[in-house]
Amino acid sequence: MYKLTEDQSKAALRAAGLPVPEGFACASPEQAAAAAERLGGQAVVKALIPTGRRGKAGAVKLVPTAADAAAAARALLGTEMLGHAVERVYVEGRFPIARELYLSFLLDGLPPQVVLSTAGGVDIEETHRTDPDAIIRDDIDPLVGFTETQACTLWARAGVKGAELGTLAEVSARLWRAFREADAVMMEINPLALDAQGRPGVVGAMMGVDENGLPRHPEWAEQADGSLIAAWRGFNEREKRIAEVNRKFKGGAIRYTELDGDIGLFVGGGGAGLLQHDMILALGGRPANHTDMNPGPGTGEKNKAVYLAILDNPNTTCLLVGFNYLQLAQCEQKVEPLLAALKERGVDPRDFPIVLRVLGPGEDAARAMVKDVPGITYLGPDSSLDDGVRLICEISRERKALKAGAAQ
Amino acid sequence: MSILIDERTRVLVQGITGGQGRRDTKHCLDYGTKVVCGVTPGKGGEEVHGLPVFNSVAEATQAHAVDCSLLFVPPLATKDAVLESLAAGVKLVVALAEFVPRHDTAIIAAAARKAGAIVVGCNTNGLISPGKCKVGGIGGDRPYDCYVPGRIGVVSRSGGMSAELARVLKFAGLGVTTSVSMGGDVIPGTPMLEYVKMFVADPETDGIVIFGEPGTRAEHDVAAFLRSGACTKPLVALLAGEFQEHYPKGVSFGHVAAMIESDTDTVSAKRRLLADSGALVAHSLGDIPRLMRDALG
Repeated sequence: MYKLTEDQSKAALRAAGLPVPEGFACASPEQAAAAAERLGGQAVVKALIPTGRRGKAGAVKLVPTAADAAAAARALLGTEMLGHAVERVYVEGRFPIARELYLSFLLDGLPPQVVLSTAGGVDIEETHRTDPDAIIRDDIDPLVGFTETQACTLWARAGVKGAELGTLAEVSARLWRAFREADAVMMEINPLALDAQGRPGVVGAMMGVDENGLPRHPEWAEQADGSLIAAWRGFNEREKRIAEVNRKFKGGAIRYTELDGDIGLFVGGGGAGLLQHDMILALGGRPANHTDMNPGPGTGEKNKAVYLAILDNPNTTCLLVGFNYLQLAQCEQKVEPLLAALKERGVDPRDFPIVLRVLGPGEDAARAMVKDVPGITYLGPDSSLDDGVRLICEISRERKALKAGAAQ
Repeated sequence: MSILIDERTRVLVQGITGGQGRRDTKHCLDYGTKVVCGVTPGKGGEEVHGLPVFNSVAEATQAHAVDCSLLFVPPLATKDAVLESLAAGVKLVVALAEFVPRHDTAIIAAAARKAGAIVVGCNTNGLISPGKCKVGGIGGDRPYDCYVPGRIGVVSRSGGMSAELARVLKFAGLGVTTSVSMGGDVIPGTPMLEYVKMFVADPETDGIVIFGEPGTRAEHDVAAFLRSGACTKPLVALLAGEFQEHYPKGVSFGHVAAMIESDTDTVSAKRRLLADSGALVAHSLGDIPRLMRDALG
């Protein structure tokens, strides 16, 4: 899931015809002041970071004048909040809230879910705990969508009456259409507000979109690249290089994430990579990284880039190249870029042992390539993924013992 | 016997004129699969490997009896292609494409259910009944390296692991009735449990192996089925991806996901649940034949 920032979410909803307060993304206090000026002075200034609970963290400030907007922006810009660097703020007009409601859609399985409540503007998890009956949940038929009829039924069940019912039903159905159009998998509108005249406003909006839908949304695609790998922290230099390679070659992206161990992993085929990583941990080994590879454009270059990153990671002492029995890809596609990377970095496998468990088409050619390279162990045709994992864990222990011996 | 496909299955290939379509169709034909025709809009009247190409599935199914559609169609075109086959009454559709948008997969799964059809995929390399038929790239052009006829039904969320599982079953002398790569997407066209039920009903399948991953409720449904007592055959489960639980969780985004999702769809939770429900839980490939042989006696 790629998390949109508030300006992106709201731009998408506005384009879908929803009533969204006017707002501007600003990178400086001066821009924030100008934005507040355009909004009539009174505004809300929020740190533009892709996360919730910003209010509690002090990332949202109500300001009465443009000068105050500049001051608020100055206080927020350049700080780190909730694990994200604040590079921009969102300056938004204040919606005159008379009533706060809650609406969300989730597509993390079948069927899609809608959650709504008249207890808006507050933490929905808290409401769930203290007053579960205030939360209405229902399934959505993906072949039909979330219709005004279904919305009307649910809002009525939540206790909404009169003209507000029709307004909310209309807005809710429109929000579903925007959710689907955006290829969103999560949307939370909190609060979904009504003013004193009963007019609706989408005041709080968060959306997460499906990476597989990004080809239909080029406006988000470039920024989304970065979120593929390390969403919980910034990239390090090697991860950035891989992100760069992913940008260069369209098609399946490589995922390369560094961890705290010493065993370099060049593993793939989705499930096989997961299994080998699990088994390493079970044997007491610690991977230095995880990888997941997709074939496609630039396979050779992508593979080499990952090998180079693994070799450049100072914590890595050895390498496991382990794939499920290949059915269409060729073994030499995994081995050739390894040799190129070793050569480019001048790494001798005698000092950096490598285990290959790469079987299937092209195996003979791949074996011939490494036949005379000491330090590389190419496991036999009958070997299993289990064997590769056991061997690399043994090697890792030996390397640690050697290092400890050298240090004494 | 086997499930879903055998030596009589007549296959239509959507997207037969593309590079992957041509190559993998050839591999299927070489294996003995009865591919009867292909479809590529605008290429009606052409031939691929001597097979007639039609402009639409409806046109093709008027000329040929078809049991199964195999799709070599790009991700953004996959939903419409699946719906086209379902509309033509095809009851088994194999959609290979990876990166199909999740909203599309939701529509595919709901449409399959409504039509009473099975959609294998998306994001799969297909399925194989060794010695009889293979549909998709599964096994490549050397299926016997891994897949040999035998007594075990396999359903895997990973296409690559399907080969690895078949290989340990081959070396153990157990072999495979049918191996289904059900697809790795969050919303598969057909849930894992449906395949498990088919294996339970198949007289030649003596035991079942499932391969699971983090996320989705697929394994929970299988566990509930086991607890109901309806699974009359030993079921070995290998689940991978527990290491992800050791990653920092990161700052949560929105609350609704956290509220609806729970900690029950982690690998370790699923393993516990399956074990408590009577599944034989493997922790390595080597465990699989050991557990299966013990159970089969």
